[in-house]
Amino acid sequence: MELDAIPQPELEQIDRIGGADLVIGIIGSERPEQNDSAAGMVREVLAELSKPLRAMVVCNNGTHSPAAVPEVPEDSQSPAVFFCSLPPPAPGETPQHGISNAYRTIFTVGGKLAVRACCVIASRPENATPGWIHRLVQPVLDLGFDLVAPCYTRQKMEGLLNRSVLAPLHGALYGQRLQNPMGPDFGLSGKLLQRILAQYSARRRGPERSLLASIAPAAAFNGFQVCESQLGVRHQSPTDWDNLSSLLSEILGAAFFEMEARAAHWQSIRGSQTLPRFGQPEVPSPENATPVDVHGMLQSFRLGAQNLQDVWGLILPPTSLLELRRLSRLTDDQFRFPDQLWVRIIYDFALGYRLQTISRDHLLRSITPLYLGWIASYALEMQTAGLAEVDSRSELLSKAYEDNKSYLVSRWRWPDRFNP
Amino acid sequence: MWEQVGQALRLSMTKMLSQLASLLPGIVALLTALVISVMIAWALSAILRRSLARFDFDRRVAHWGFPALAEWSPASSPTLLVTRAIAWIIVFMGFLIGISAFDGALPSQFVVRLFAYLPDLMTAIVVFVAGSIIARFLARSVLIGAVNMNLQYARLLSVGVKWLVTVLAVTIALERLGIGGGIIRLAFGILFGGIVLALALAVGLGSKELVSRSLDRETNKTPSAGMKEPVGHL
Repeated sequence: MELDAIPQPELEQIDRIGGADLVIGIIGSERPEQNDSAAGMVREVLAELSKPLRAMVVCNNGTHSPAAVPEVPEDSQSPAVFFCSLPPPAPGETPQHGISNAYRTIFTVGGKLAVRACCVIASRPENATPGWIHRLVQPVLDLGFDLVAPCYTRQKMEGLLNRSVLAPLHGALYGQRLQNPMGPDFGLSGKLLQRILAQYSARRRGPERSLLASIAPAAAFNGFQVCESQLGVRHQSPTDWDNLSSLLSEILGAAFFEMEARAAHWQSIRGSQTLPRFGQPEVPSPENATPVDVHGMLQSFRLGAQNLQDVWGLILPPTSLLELRRLSRLTDDQFRFPDQLWVRIIYDFALGYRLQTISRDHLLRSITPLYLGWIASYALEMQTAGLAEVDSRSELLSKAYEDNKSYLVSRWRWPDRFNP
Repeated sequence: MWEQVGQALRLSMTKMLSQLASLLPGIVALLTALVISVMIAWALSAILRRSLARFDFDRRVAHWGFPALAEWSPASSPTLLVTRAIAWIIVFMGFLIGISAFDGALPSQFVVRLFAYLPDLMTAIVVFVAGSIIARFLARSVLIGAVNMNLQYARLLSVGVKWLVTVLAVTIALERLGIGGGIIRLAFGILFGGIVLALALAVGLGSKELVSRSLDRETNKTPSAGMKEPVGHL
């Protein structure tokens, strides 16, 4: 599938190895010396596991280091760590696209080696520690789970796209509550990996779908065992506010595409269940006491409400437009984005994406002022809240997504007839 | 003498009647062509109306970015507008065919010249429709992009882009039709230049600070000055 992305020496090495138990992908490691440390980390992890294993480490820094490649043992059962280096992401590639491509190649290597488990760390390379690898791999190898999704220790103003859309939408659609349905760090079983590869081979001629967005829905759709693992604090690059609309377009586009592809499945699901979660949550470091300045976000929301009515009018029903107009007239202190309105907006945008009411790029980018409005409302509401309150706020939003699912199903089935 | 007058009158009457008789086949042919074309137009417009209604054309036209088409249409229905336009075109074609059945140099020349003009007319229509679609698409792109960049004059930019492309399309279409000639070119130059100057002034004066901030950011590679809140999205 993506074997052409792998250099010839590495391909020959994969052929020589023939088979392995585990493939570990570390995406985003830029320095060659990280290859050796990655191999060392994996040895440390393998020593902690119950059975001796053969593992393949895949990094995408494009530096082939023969020192890290041991001779292939005669006995295919003896433990060993092999190393494979992928070319770095292409210059014009967006981070999400780069991660998705690297995932595809790692999965292909895993499929070729017929591994029992696969673990990919796509957050910044400093996150790749033996602890993280162990927590993503151990439930698959020792407990028989097929997908281990990450659960990070977050501050209340972190992971907002996950909190506002991805996690509650995944819960309402597929009936499984995950903190991060789009990872980007996952542990998978060989079975699930093979299923995803088969799904990709079958859809090769269709539009390209984001692999990262399809892992959790594929596991839910095919009845695989899913769990979460506490990974602790995740180091992230600073927020790129200038490209927020591109980020939203890429992430929400992938989620809506997956939603469209699995419509027959999620329409019959009601409610959601909490999944097993392994590991102890870390206590987050005390937050900066300075409140978030929401003025700029509210200004963006109001500018959108003033200028994008024609565009939103093609996607949203009149009641939502009326509500948005009312919201845009509120003062900063009074501003609160009602959950029901937010949820219906997301559902209507998903429907607009499916119906291609307007160009999909226009549709996805026009959601930016609405998202900024939601962040502003959330920041104002959670200004003095503790972590427990933040969690219960997320619960309430998830419930709103589930309660309004009938609205989505009705509009999805009869977009013209059901238009409140 | 009276006999000669009577003969002259008989001759002129015979001549007139024979000329009228020679026109009769042409008139009958014109009427027949008109009747047939009306019947074809009626049948085709009925089929087209049903097909467009099934295709949900009225709603789709609004979604494609042409809500104003409904305002121009009879009974606010673009379907009706399209079917009527096609029906009238067919009737007109029938009329032309009927006219050319007359055995006269003038009607034939008229029809030949009209048919020679048709390719230019079709090209002009295609240019105008394509220009309108592109104008609307670009205007929407600019509007969304400008709002996301927090530009207060987003709508002005969007309208400016829309009119720039529309003016360009109309000028090409008119030139294709051979209407106006040099005046059109001159008017286009003045209009296009005027719009660009107005936009440049509006954007330039309105965004002095934004441009300097943007240049400053490029030089120092600092994050956006608009929003730099410590917020994580993923």
